[in-house]
Amino acid sequence: MTPGLPLPWLVMVGVGSPAILFAVLGGASLVDRPVPERWAGPLALGSMTMACAAVLLAFIVLETAGIGAQVLSYGAWSASHPGGIAIEFLVDRLSLGFAALSAAIAGIVSAFSHRYLHREPGYTRYFVLLAMFVTGMMLVALAGNVTVLFIGWELVGLSSALLVAFFHERPAAVSNAFRVLAVYRISDAAVLSTAVLLRHIAGTDSVSLLFGGGVAPAIKLTSADATMIGVLLIVAVAGKSALLPLSSWLPRAMEGPTPSSAVYYGSLSIHAGCYLLLRAAPLLEQAPAARLLAGALGAATAVFAAVATRVQSDVKSSLAYASLTQVGIIVVEIAVGWYTLAFVHLAGHACFRLLQFLSAPNVLHDLHGIEGAIGDHTSPGGGLETPIAHGARRRLFLIALERGFLDTILERAVVEPFVRLARALSRLDRWLCAIVLAAPGPAADGGEEDE
Amino acid sequence: MSDAWVWLAAIVALPVVVIGVSFMRVDVDLLRRLAVASAIVMLLAALAINVIPSLRDLSIRTAALSRMPGGEAVIRIDALSAALLPLAAGLWLLTVAVAPRATLDRRSLRRTALATFVTVASFLTESAVVLLLLSVASFWTFLAALDHPAQRHQRRLVAVYLGFSTLLLAAGVLLLVGPGAQNRTIETAALWLIAVAALVRKGIVPFHAWVPEVFDHGRLGPAILFNAPQVGAYLTVVLLVPRASPEMLRVIALLALMTAVYGAALALVQTSARRACGYLFMSQSALVMAGLDCTSVSALAGGLLVWLSAGLAFAGLARCVLVLEARRGRLGLTTYHGGYERMPLLAVSFLSMALACTGFPGTLGFVGEELLVNGAVDVFPVMGFAVVVASALTGLSVLRMYFSLFCGRATAPLPPGLKLGPTLREAWTFGAVVLVLVGLGVAPRALVDSRFAAADDILRRRQEHMAMPRSGEPYLRDGSAPDGSPERRMTRLTSSPKGR
Repeated sequence: MTPGLPLPWLVMVGVGSPAILFAVLGGASLVDRPVPERWAGPLALGSMTMACAAVLLAFIVLETAGIGAQVLSYGAWSASHPGGIAIEFLVDRLSLGFAALSAAIAGIVSAFSHRYLHREPGYTRYFVLLAMFVTGMMLVALAGNVTVLFIGWELVGLSSALLVAFFHERPAAVSNAFRVLAVYRISDAAVLSTAVLLRHIAGTDSVSLLFGGGVAPAIKLTSADATMIGVLLIVAVAGKSALLPLSSWLPRAMEGPTPSSAVYYGSLSIHAGCYLLLRAAPLLEQAPAARLLAGALGAATAVFAAVATRVQSDVKSSLAYASLTQVGIIVVEIAVGWYTLAFVHLAGHACFRLLQFLSAPNVLHDLHGIEGAIGDHTSPGGGLETPIAHGARRRLFLIALERGFLDTILERAVVEPFVRLARALSRLDRWLCAIVLAAPGPAADGGEEDE
Repeated sequence: MSDAWVWLAAIVALPVVVIGVSFMRVDVDLLRRLAVASAIVMLLAALAINVIPSLRDLSIRTAALSRMPGGEAVIRIDALSAALLPLAAGLWLLTVAVAPRATLDRRSLRRTALATFVTVASFLTESAVVLLLLSVASFWTFLAALDHPAQRHQRRLVAVYLGFSTLLLAAGVLLLVGPGAQNRTIETAALWLIAVAALVRKGIVPFHAWVPEVFDHGRLGPAILFNAPQVGAYLTVVLLVPRASPEMLRVIALLALMTAVYGAALALVQTSARRACGYLFMSQSALVMAGLDCTSVSALAGGLLVWLSAGLAFAGLARCVLVLEARRGRLGLTTYHGGYERMPLLAVSFLSMALACTGFPGTLGFVGEELLVNGAVDVFPVMGFAVVVASALTGLSVLRMYFSLFCGRATAPLPPGLKLGPTLREAWTFGAVVLVLVGLGVAPRALVDSRFAAADDILRRRQEHMAMPRSGEPYLRDGSAPDGSPERRMTRLTSSPKGR
């Protein structure tokens, strides 16, 4: 077997396998012939296993051949003009490692969900969205340019929001899904802006040329340009990984089914931002201010999440904040430059937290089992808060309980001014119509949103 | 007569046949079936014209209606119009296939056929005079659709705005074909008049107020059929782009970008689904105008792609709203209406079309928006960031609509046995629209190449026009000024792609 020969095929299978699953399950639902439960689950498991195996094989081929990194091109949108978007993947240890981790975790969750969601009305819909998510994660992991990364980023974001609204008959779930989506859109806009800025400044958005891809980046940016792009990337990461000040959506995202919470907010989606920072590390090294910002945000998020997790009244929210603590620490590690440690931490934490999330529904049962075995109630024990003075501890408790007042701050600083402005403009439009008609405003039943 | 003429005659004759039959004593259901069949045949014929190059080989030119040397093509099919014909046919099919029976009586069927005929005829000509006459016909058709007494305000609004637009267009065209057309000053004045006419017709800020109002309180169906083909953009491409200065095109592009963001932002706070549709349409159609800035061939091709994707996706989305209204009455966006489990197919179709509107990856909209941003980023980075903001806001608006219209628990439980899901015809039509938007989004190469060809054509025509001498400001045929200095206007006309 020639080491270089199967690599494009293996990567294509790795990305294409969940994409085909998405097309099959989604297409069947679209023509009103949803794939029955007895097929959908095993199909998903098979697809994820195939993707994982293909990516692992690609990793072996890459290592055997001693290739540091390789860009695989799968053509462009236009045959006549080179101005279109190129479908490119960058394969190196980092990208294949994260892709393999994603596929493996998705496979485990597929197997778990097949039983967990048995006879759930939205069973097939769940697997359609899971397939969309895994496709997105593979694209994020293997992206050879920022546009491909953006495609994956969007797929992850949309599937996440739709899974938060999985129990769509519950207004709270839908309303929370919209909040989650709003933050994700900020993150998406930041990634797309990064692509625009990179093309404007460097004339390319190639990951290998700009971010190195295992070697030094071929294109050196000025410190100011690198800082600007670094800050945009940090905004994108903050949105996707719930770093401060965009953390408030995380507890809202727990409305979805437990397996989706596990795979998104315990193991993969929440780490996608960390992966992006790792990928862009060579660029961040050219921008000390952006690194400092990333480190500060990571540290602040870790402290905030560590405090918030202690007062959560439901196990999923508590685990989500615990995840966030680790994510903050991983971001600090990347900012400091401990890339290998950061990746090991990321992979280990993703697997550990997945296990915790998946066993969350059994936590009371397990606790009762333990208490039954020891014949007494277990006590929570002393925490880090013990040395803190009583008054300060109460204030800290309030901050943690209100989740840092982040929702209120965002509401007052961003949402309310935006809505007020949009309402005023909407009224102006109606007034313009009334002026043109030289008559009273024609509509009394329309209006503006109170959201 | 060549094959091309036969195919073209067939396309144009189909709506005329439906109009003719509508005057006979034919059952309305039968007339509707005839309209559906005609629209399907028209769509297939229009697609054949795109696939078989020899069917595009036709043109009738005359100097009688123009001062241009060599005259203008009164009828022609080129790379631009070839792709717009299936759009017009598809919109007609969408209308007659899914419009609720109660709203599609004999007169409505006649009007939709007439509107389609006018749209198709517009896409087949580059003559300013013929376009003016067709604009008048289109204006009259739209006005006639708002004949219900309850819509008298909206009728007046349309009469004022679109009447103003038509008057400006008439004045501009008369100046353009009049004896002073070779004078640079008169030509500039004519072009500004036409530009404002196109901006009003497209609902570009600050000439936009009529769009949400007519969508909200007028008749949504005719509004879709009038707006979705974007004849205003076609006027701009044919009459303005070849002749206008870069400054004029830049002003139009900036207003369009402002509209894209404005429409998306205001759609987010509306409480009426129809009004939100109006603002979304404004936002989407403005992106097409932004692409016509001619910054590069990529940006122009992107704008032309957005034209097709936004036209189809938006029309499908608005039609979905009408299908829901037929079952639930007027739809507000302040509550959750529920119903996903009753009509999952409609919900998925709505979501897919909504995502295509936002330029979501995997849909045709994404391809268009990416090309638009990619092509403009070097010379006009503002466009890139404005498209990003508009896209983010549009995404939120359409998802909010989706959540409101399909999620939550239905307030009124259905009597057992009553099904409110889409009919077979609705299901097929929406399914086909989604397949087109997603299929072309996943495998866009052929369409992208055809839009690049159209963009090349447009830029070549612009170069030819710019190289023509004017009495007020003479230029040599090669586009350079008499003193030998390179002509400033030509600097941004290069058709070389801005690839990475």
